Amino acid sequence: MTNVRAPEADPFGSPAPEPDGQPRGHLTGGASGSAGWLKWAWRQLTSMRIALILLFLLALASVPGSMLPQEGSDPAAVQQYFTSHPALAPVLNRLGLFNVFAAPWFAAIYLLLFTSLVGCVVPRTFRLAGSARALPPRAPRNLSRLPRSASYATALDAGQAVEVAARVLSGHGFRLRRPGGASEPADHWLSAEKGYLREAGNLLFHLALLGVLVSVALGGLFGYKADRLLVQGQTFADTASALDEFHPGRFVTAADLAPFTIRLNQFTAAYIAAGPQRGQPASFHAELSYTARPGGPSRGYDLQVNRPLSVDGVKVYLIGHGYAPLFRVTDARGQVVYDQATPFIAGSSGNFLSEGVVKVPDAQPQQLGFTGVFVPTAVDVGGILESVFPAADHPVASLIAYAGNLGIDSGVPQSVYQLDTAGMHRLGAAPLLMREGQTLRLPSGQGMITFAGYDQWVSLAITHDPGQLPALVCGIAALGGLLLSFMVRRRRVFIRARAAGHGSTVQVGGLARTDASGGFEAEFASLAAELRAAHRRPASRPDSAEGK
Amino acid sequence: MSRARRRAAAVMAAVAAGVALAVVLLTGAANGNSSGVTDIGGNTSAVLYAAGHRPLAPEFSGTTLTGSRLSVSAYRGKVVVLNFWGSWCAPCREEAPALAALARTYRGAGVAFLGVDVRDTDASAQAFARDFGITYPSVADPASVVTMDFTTVVPIAGTPTTLVIDRTRHIAGAVFGAATYSELATILATVTRG
Repeated sequence: MTNVRAPEADPFGSPAPEPDGQPRGHLTGGASGSAGWLKWAWRQLTSMRIALILLFLLALASVPGSMLPQEGSDPAAVQQYFTSHPALAPVLNRLGLFNVFAAPWFAAIYLLLFTSLVGCVVPRTFRLAGSARALPPRAPRNLSRLPRSASYATALDAGQAVEVAARVLSGHGFRLRRPGGASEPADHWLSAEKGYLREAGNLLFHLALLGVLVSVALGGLFGYKADRLLVQGQTFADTASALDEFHPGRFVTAADLAPFTIRLNQFTAAYIAAGPQRGQPASFHAELSYTARPGGPSRGYDLQVNRPLSVDGVKVYLIGHGYAPLFRVTDARGQVVYDQATPFIAGSSGNFLSEGVVKVPDAQPQQLGFTGVFVPTAVDVGGILESVFPAADHPVASLIAYAGNLGIDSGVPQSVYQLDTAGMHRLGAAPLLMREGQTLRLPSGQGMITFAGYDQWVSLAITHDPGQLPALVCGIAALGGLLLSFMVRRRRVFIRARAAGHGSTVQVGGLARTDASGGFEAEFASLAAELRAAHRRPASRPDSAEGK
Repeated sequence: MSRARRRAAAVMAAVAAGVALAVVLLTGAANGNSSGVTDIGGNTSAVLYAAGHRPLAPEFSGTTLTGSRLSVSAYRGKVVVLNFWGSWCAPCREEAPALAALARTYRGAGVAFLGVDVRDTDASAQAFARDFGITYPSVADPASVVTMDFTTVVPIAGTPTTLVIDRTRHIAGAVFGAATYSELATILATVTRG
């Protein structure tokens, strides 16, 4: 990212100290072999070239994360991939390509990049801090060789001329350096430098960059992500066993979760009813009641897409919705063994034709299972049910019933959206087609099922990222520092005065160390004119030059 | 020159130490065993808390599956086996016969069994209790609020979890995941003795 030892040596070989002192790439001869190699490796690792290569590798390594389904975000899609690519999937799995961001090779790249950046930024920060305090170099002998120079005669003697120039330049905020000690008593010169804010900006950029890295790490270690599907009328508490998906950071324990509860009072989806956009969503509103802690006051919130709820440092986003048909199942013995809203998931066929599974593990004498669809606005097209509108204007449920062994009693967890029919037999040939409120008898005297209505559900993404705010602040600071270091340029002005006749000859030289924007020429011209005017004044009364 | 080299070496060492620390933290190599907690039979999912290390169980009350009020304070002075379960949960169905048998065994021995029915409906939960012959009461916890209360003192990561609470309302043992008859019997033997 940054070159540790950018060539900042003075263009005219002045003795400005190179703060690090060491010539680059030079191996110290006295050091033992292994230490030398170690040093060489360290220098390579912290070089800009390697940092860029690592950054590129990191980008490259995250490509499979977006091309292939990932365990963390969509385990069902990974299963799907395994069934459709039985030969390739195990190989990819061995390489960790289904969980890229947790793979060791990904961590290796990340840690190497982190090391490279820290190893680059920390020494550079020291160097910049030194450079921001440093004095300008001594004035070169021949100022006319500098990119900008001017020369004129003045009535003032050489010492006075330098004094006057010093006053003018320090009035412009230049940092000054004069001949030190008695080494050159006859030498009248002055070095002035301005634009140290550039180094401060650079320093800020580097420190903020470290801050971003630390913030991201903090977020990963102390944050968590979770998902929860919530049906109208349901409440859930933010605790691990109430979450459908829970991905805690390394230092997050079950007791660290913010103890809020959220109830979904009502979900409303409005759809465009006519025109070419018919069926497109117009708005989603999830009316929530929430308490920040158990027994606390209940507050309302209108949750919308891109309008998350903030509670106790946690953000809750609305990320999906669907229908949950209400089924009531009575078993062969006349007991109501199932009576609840069952979330169905919208399929790809559009208009919220949704698929789902009903499992009745405690029906007697046999367990019952149903797979089927919920059709919000149903139309029979040649014997096939289709949904023509996403709102539930004419809801219909169509289920296929199974009896036998659900395979759930052995203790192996199952997906609630999949029915394992291996131990079951199908009841009847035709699907059970029900309008709202309709009850049907199950074949073979297995009981009956009622389609009692429907509720809607929302899926919520719950994220806690304590690194977010510091990362934002550091990001802004880094940008500010970068702008500062781009916009401010360091420029130097040198003065030499030599006795000539009754007065002296003044030489002014100027140099911009970085002048990408090219404004130094005008600045130097105006400075030179001001100096010349100051040197034309007859007397050397200190106040006269300073007052302007 | 040598000062600069020494400083460079110091920076190098500091960064290397930082990275090593990060690696340790990220890979969780610093996984110590907290004192006062004993695994049962090498199974990390069943633990005994030594006296003095037992967390105080929160008070709670609620409505049972049959509609009556239940407060845990009614069980003062008894050892309580508290089982977090749901009819939808496969491992709960696996452990249910063991719990039903233990409840029969310890009837009249000063041990009360109590369920917390998590994310469930009354119809399904009652069918489950009938099916497995579970006669002890369960408090309905559809919103997992009771579970959240207990999670502040014991790391309940999922359902099922079974806690054994001693006569002074301190949690003396826990089984995370499906409990077996012998695990719970081992914990109960210790707790009823002490």
